[in-house]
Amino acid sequence: MEIYIALKVLWAVLLGILLTGLAVMVGMDMGVGVLLRLVGKTDGERRTMLNIIGPHWDGNQVWFILGGGAIFAAFPTLYATSFSVFYVVMILLLFSMIMRPVAFEYRSKVDATKWRDTWDWAFLISGALPMIVYGAAFGNVLEGVGYHYSWTGQYFQDESFLGYLLNPFAVMCGVMSLSLAVYQGGTMLMLRGEEPIYSRARTYATLGAVVAAVIFAVGGVWISHMNGYVFTGTVDPGMAATPLGGPAVAAKAGAWLNNFHAYPILWLAPAIGFLGMIVGAVALQLHMKIVGWWLGVLSWVGTISTVGVAMFPFLMPSSTAPAESLTVWNATGSAYNLGWMTFFAAIFVPAILSYTSWCYYVMRGKVKVETVVNDPHSY
Amino acid sequence: MPLIDPNVVDLSRLQFALTALYHFLFVPLTLGLTIMLAAMETVYVITGKQVYKDMTHFWGKLFGINFAIGVATGLTMEFEFGTNWSMYSHFVGDVFGTPLAIEGLMAFFMESTFVGLMFFGWDRLSKPAHLAVTYLVALGSNLSALWILVANGFMQNPQGASFDPDTMRMQFNDFTALVFSPDAQAKFVHTSIAGFVAGAMFVMGISAYYMLRGRHREFAARSFRMAALFGLVSTLAVVTLGDALGRLDYLVQPTKIAAMEGLWHTSTPPSAPWLIAALPNDATQSNSMEIGVPYVLTPLVAHSLNTPIPGLIDLEQANVPRVDNGIKAIAALQQYGETHSATSLATFKQYENDMGYGFLAQRYAPNQDVNLITPALLPSVEQQAVKDSIPNVFVTFWSFRIMMVLGFYFVAIFAFAAYYSLKNQLEKHPMLLKLCMWSIPAPILATEFGWVTAEAGRQPWTVYGWLPTFQSASSHDVGYMIFSLAGFALLYSAFIAAELYLMFKFARLGPDEHGVAAHHSPVDASIAAPIFAKPGFANKSWE
Amino acid sequence: MGTIVKFGALAAVIVFALFLAVVAGDYGPWYFAWLVGTTMIILISVAGAVMFETQLTINEDRRL
Repeated sequence: MEIYIALKVLWAVLLGILLTGLAVMVGMDMGVGVLLRLVGKTDGERRTMLNIIGPHWDGNQVWFILGGGAIFAAFPTLYATSFSVFYVVMILLLFSMIMRPVAFEYRSKVDATKWRDTWDWAFLISGALPMIVYGAAFGNVLEGVGYHYSWTGQYFQDESFLGYLLNPFAVMCGVMSLSLAVYQGGTMLMLRGEEPIYSRARTYATLGAVVAAVIFAVGGVWISHMNGYVFTGTVDPGMAATPLGGPAVAAKAGAWLNNFHAYPILWLAPAIGFLGMIVGAVALQLHMKIVGWWLGVLSWVGTISTVGVAMFPFLMPSSTAPAESLTVWNATGSAYNLGWMTFFAAIFVPAILSYTSWCYYVMRGKVKVETVVNDPHSY
Repeated sequence: MPLIDPNVVDLSRLQFALTALYHFLFVPLTLGLTIMLAAMETVYVITGKQVYKDMTHFWGKLFGINFAIGVATGLTMEFEFGTNWSMYSHFVGDVFGTPLAIEGLMAFFMESTFVGLMFFGWDRLSKPAHLAVTYLVALGSNLSALWILVANGFMQNPQGASFDPDTMRMQFNDFTALVFSPDAQAKFVHTSIAGFVAGAMFVMGISAYYMLRGRHREFAARSFRMAALFGLVSTLAVVTLGDALGRLDYLVQPTKIAAMEGLWHTSTPPSAPWLIAALPNDATQSNSMEIGVPYVLTPLVAHSLNTPIPGLIDLEQANVPRVDNGIKAIAALQQYGETHSATSLATFKQYENDMGYGFLAQRYAPNQDVNLITPALLPSVEQQAVKDSIPNVFVTFWSFRIMMVLGFYFVAIFAFAAYYSLKNQLEKHPMLLKLCMWSIPAPILATEFGWVTAEAGRQPWTVYGWLPTFQSASSHDVGYMIFSLAGFALLYSAFIAAELYLMFKFARLGPDEHGVAAHHSPVDASIAAPIFAKPGFANKSWE
Repeated sequence: MGTIVKFGALAAVIVFALFLAVVAGDYGPWYFAWLVGTTMIILISVAGAVMFETQLTINEDRRL
């Protein structure tokens, strides 16, 4: 039983790592997509920007697919419920995510202004929308989502999707996630781009970091006043993974700060996030690009772990049937399944990290406009 | 428990089928072309001839156009289980999600990370290192298919998990049983090699087009040769594996094999005919028209001379006791959920294996509550439920036949193509070249019909024998479904238009015109040029 | 030293291949068939190309 609890916690942590990896790697590409028309003024510049992430976007996008697969396997009930409850938003996210690879591969294959302009807009939309949805999903989950289950485990939705789209807190979280993506993408452009891309990217990246820091601060105050969720019944962390028949849960204002009050060391998480953004903006102004990139990673780590720590053990509380809220204790896969998943993750995550770094190493160096335009393989 | 609106279930099925079929337009080419690229680059590394590098470049470029949409539409599939098949995801996520996650970790990451290096790393890597990268892409794409088909194998023949009444889902309990399930194995090999056939036909067809036009001769002749041999061995393997799969279905999914063969009544060996054509009528449960060859069916399906093959009507009626047991199982399960009593658990355990048939009956129970089925109502519920327990025969029968005919057609065309290519006499047979060119879409069509056979034949289940399709969907409004369907239709049509436009554009342009092969070594060009320049000369080449 | 490393690497590959063959052969005959079959398909196709070059050379010799 203790092993099962340990596995549940381990996979909650891995979920956090996965969401962070996704935010950093996919977010970076999304940021470049959003900046494509703002930073790139000529076609040559835009192609250079695309080729900066060109050899890697495909691998980065897999973080997204792996995210889907890992949540499916490690948190089946969470996957089944959250993807369906957020249906309209998820479908919009999917539409943008499937537009991107196509835009990458097709944009520069035809030399016509209209064709390329169309795909440029596809990059902008498909870069901005998923990041907004990504952040907004965190916002919605923090506020609680309306759903309940029938005895067979089928979920039923108790709220209209409009409630998730037109929700000031969620929209604010979405803008923050977009800003961090712009920060990360802009920094990547600084790392591998030359003038004039470099200077323009620097302006937008700094702006992204500052906006994110401001929203993070406002969001902190907001969360301390809004409803959080707490167990009122006795909790057995080793319980069978079903949302039905679990302990009672209540919504209380400010409850998301409970964990921080209980363990003040946890304040480190928001501190890291906040400092990452502020120091990151300063670093970029000082032309410290590599430091800036890693501070961008820290910003994501800090932000996502703040949300995770605040909500733990809740994953997606139900506002209409709080006792059926999905938590780390009741939404995971079986111990056997988590064991195998851990085995595969232990082998392949280090492998993935090492060959991904190797690929970045092989493709290192500045990307020049002339080489991109003259190379028949480039995007 | 309220049932999901049947319209939503139908629309969800429509959406899943459309997006899966669409995704599968691109997958076979990815599976096959990556391996072919690896083969071409191998020749380049062995012989050092520039033309093989040009081949790898050019076919790699076409592969890239195809790969982009393959990845994009694959994303849809990974998310659609959650967005549209919530109950299914909850019910089997513990065992079904695992291969999907492993696919991401083991295969998809490898394929997608190295594909960037494959395209951009030519000047940055040594020859063997680049070759290794190409092989890793090929291996990654096929490993990807492996894990997806392991997951699909579980839907067809659930092995490696058992139902847990405490969590109300199938729980994973045997990794080797899941991965080495015979269904998953045969399916993987059949599908992966069907992709090889598609890749070979693609390369061969476009090369045939160049030969017909007299363009890029030395490039086309070599590509054709490699593709023809590659395709010939692959088609033979696909047909063999198809037979293996059919035999497996006969053992574990008798309803599917009966539907594929249009068999309403149990066959009488050994003279039972194998139907070449028929018009199965699902409403009257009979074939309106039949053309068959006697004495073929029994050895073909059962690999024996005297085993009767069960027909659909008999299979259906044999399910009546399973429906009865299933009703008891569902009632006990519901009671266990409320009371957690040991007696209801014991009752459930007794009838557990027929649980899925109880779900089938639930649909026809008053208020969808199996407890309300009175003895008077039982016979009608039984009959309605068993009518649902077999797949649509017309669709399964014909999609299977189309796939099979195409399969044998491929054996023939690749055999001729390989023969004349080996004799260097292709240009004397323009009809064959034209046929090759027009057959490019045929293997993709065959894999689509193969998918329809396998998945339509699995109905009414999403997990064979455990969870019916109508209970697997998410409880959406019709409006949601119309929104997503319209969006997919719009986006996917735009994509296919762009893809075809680019494919035609670059295939017509050929390897030279966009600079890929502009730097032929002069020696290579001088040897290669005369091959087809004087057809008479080329013919004498080998005799 | 370099030779020893190469030898070791080769030995490791062979041991791994044998292990894979034994496991796949025991539990997954069709997986094993895929490994062998795909290798064979690639080799036949490569051999076809090499043969093409040989035919070409013979051709050249005759013409000269």
